[in-house]
Amino acid sequence: MPVRHHHQLFKSCLICALTLLVGVTGRAQPAEENDAWTLLSRFLYRDAAEIFERDAGGGRLRDLGLAAALLNDPPVIPSKIMRAEGLLQGVVKESPTDDTGLYAQYLLARIMQVHRETPVKEVEAAYRKIITAAPESASAQLAAAQLALVILYQRSDLDVSGRLAQAADLAAVAGSDRLPDVASSYFHQLAEAALFYKVTDEQVLGWLEQAHAIGSSNPLYQSSFNLQLAEVARAIGQREKALTYYEQFLLTASSTDQRYYTAKARMDELKEETR
Amino acid sequence: MKRLSKLGRTLAIGILALLFIVAAVQVFQRGREEADDSDLEIIRFAHWQLEPGIREAFDAIAKEYMALHPQVRIKQLSIPGRVWKQWLRTQLVGGEPPDLIEVVNYEVSDEMLARYFVPLTVPLEEKNPYNADEPDLRDLSWRRSFSSELIPEDSVHYYSANLLEYYAVPNAMVTVRIFYNRDIVRAALGEDRVPETYQEFLHWCEAVNAYAEKTGQPIMALAGSSYNAVQLTGMLTSTLTQKLVLDIDYSKDLNFTVQETLITYLLGDWSMRTPALSRCFEIVESIGRFMPPGWAQLNRDDAMLQFLQGKVAMIPTGTWDAAGILQQADFDVGAFRVPGVGPDDQYFGEWAMGPASEANIFASMSFGVTRTSKHSERAIDFLRFMTSRRSNTTFAEMSTWLPVIKGATVPAVSKPFEPIEKGFIRGPSVRSLSVPANDIFQQNIHMLSGRTANAAAYIEHTEPLYKRAVPQELTRMAKVYQATTRQKDSVLAALYQLEKDEGLARSKFDIVASKQLQVEAQRLQILRSLEDHAKR
Repeated sequence: MPVRHHHQLFKSCLICALTLLVGVTGRAQPAEENDAWTLLSRFLYRDAAEIFERDAGGGRLRDLGLAAALLNDPPVIPSKIMRAEGLLQGVVKESPTDDTGLYAQYLLARIMQVHRETPVKEVEAAYRKIITAAPESASAQLAAAQLALVILYQRSDLDVSGRLAQAADLAAVAGSDRLPDVASSYFHQLAEAALFYKVTDEQVLGWLEQAHAIGSSNPLYQSSFNLQLAEVARAIGQREKALTYYEQFLLTASSTDQRYYTAKARMDELKEETR
Repeated sequence: MKRLSKLGRTLAIGILALLFIVAAVQVFQRGREEADDSDLEIIRFAHWQLEPGIREAFDAIAKEYMALHPQVRIKQLSIPGRVWKQWLRTQLVGGEPPDLIEVVNYEVSDEMLARYFVPLTVPLEEKNPYNADEPDLRDLSWRRSFSSELIPEDSVHYYSANLLEYYAVPNAMVTVRIFYNRDIVRAALGEDRVPETYQEFLHWCEAVNAYAEKTGQPIMALAGSSYNAVQLTGMLTSTLTQKLVLDIDYSKDLNFTVQETLITYLLGDWSMRTPALSRCFEIVESIGRFMPPGWAQLNRDDAMLQFLQGKVAMIPTGTWDAAGILQQADFDVGAFRVPGVGPDDQYFGEWAMGPASEANIFASMSFGVTRTSKHSERAIDFLRFMTSRRSNTTFAEMSTWLPVIKGATVPAVSKPFEPIEKGFIRGPSVRSLSVPANDIFQQNIHMLSGRTANAAAYIEHTEPLYKRAVPQELTRMAKVYQATTRQKDSVLAALYQLEKDEGLARSKFDIVASKQLQVEAQRLQILRSLEDHAKR
């Protein structure tokens, strides 16, 4: 794109980041192609379930794996979900708060939320139990981030400000640096929910800035945060900040981003207004 | 009579027997060829592109590759599009698919990619040795030698956002353009400088109609069929509503997604009566005046025939039809970009910004390598050769499709097909309300055609249909999101076990979990919108 030649340095950074993202994917390359966990990580639920089934003496980890595989082993039918639940309850019963037990609790909460029409209060309680039991764990961070979404969109008993406030209260766990991509998503989703409810204020800008500061491994998302920050800053009258973020977006936008010239026009228009 | 029927029966049996023998010999020879020569590597590649020039281009590239590698045989399989889906499933499940298969994301699920295809992420980060003679490309990775550098967007055909892997390598790009009969246009206008604004385009249409009336020739300005009309009006109307996005894009990222379009419609932020939208129907109505009577009932082939027979001056269609048009037309053909409505258009320009950007036109005709390939390394090597600058230039020259490799020469005839980079975002249109709403448009487009065309009547008639279709479509989308997030629960459990000892920060587990949260948020946002809508 000829007009963007002066952004070559930033493009190189984007490419490096993309390569890093690709490198990350390389970490999960299977050492053993037929390992049940590896198969499961590649969406091959049935193949994984068959191997877990054969490993009858595999203990709690095997039960966790089999349950996870059964949740999507086609056809997904109620009897398989019930069996998965039973296996997970067995894992939890033996030791509810060790690493395996916590993940089993997390999967049980997910079953309640996405496989059964469990009342919101019960889903919330299941997630909170994990958060309380081991707030420093990855399972708790995932639970907190999922719970935030439940509060933001499913707590009909709360008004919008109540939903936003209760979801924001989970920041200490959901925003932990143990899982930075999850943390970035959590802050981003707080902002997205507020915008969905047509709330655009300093707090929204703050959440977006936190998401941006933690950063996403996906450079396309990271670049897009800049544009969203620019538009939100502009909407609440923070012109200088808006101009800075527009500039950052233009520097980091991929060559396939069709918003480039619109953002540039918006920035130029704002500059004119500022004068 | 009896003798004749006996003869016919014998003849039929004979033909069947002959066909069986030919097929048996072919199957036998295929196995024999490889068995006879243990060094021989046969690479079969399959696609459904039957457009003129494509097979010839692939044959030429394969021939050149075989000259470089005499122990290799490249065999091309062209499968008709109407049987492609069934053929693909049978081949993959049967366990002996071709080595290379054309991949599109709406036909090959993540599970299919993971089960049947080889990830190409690692080879794509290596250099392409077939670009060794290209000073500007030889030090770049194979991925970066593509014009778009194969940006891993969610919706592309060559990358799985769920598996975080590349699975295919593209060969071409396509855009939508208006092809025109230069003889008619020159006769009607005295010259054929292509129109750059909607008003100039209308002037062309009017001039052709006036010319037809003056000379008594049965010529119309535009080829008509609902397919071609949708191609044309889709491009035009997306410029008509651009500024509307600035008001109703609630996520404030200037990316007005299908979901946002549907939700804002559902919640009443806009309707078909919103002036920017109702103008869209007026524009369809005004374009319809230049199409042959009854165009809404005609199909794509009818429209193409009208153009090739010189009965119409212009046809809006994808550049995938370019080679066919150029080969079959016995007149001089030109092409130009669909002129968007600009902000200076006095009637239609109130909510327009300018031409719609085509920067996100993603590379297509992508080939993946099957896991069961006996020569997967060779298949990958052939893909590298196919997408070297030299081969991609050959491909573009012979097929007229746009090349995808940096610096590959765009043939003069394909220059007008190049994507518009300096363009603006697209606004909502009836087409962006997704498939069911698009069907309503197609089924009722006749109300916008002919002498009785009436945009207001169209809106009156279809409004209840859109109001019914939008919640249904949102419900369907929520179900799809739910299936996606459910699948990720299993995958995440596995990634957690595989990666927890190495540290989870920025791991695949972290990235996939973050993606799951985004999709879950989209699902819950839809459910919230439907609930709020129901309370009203």
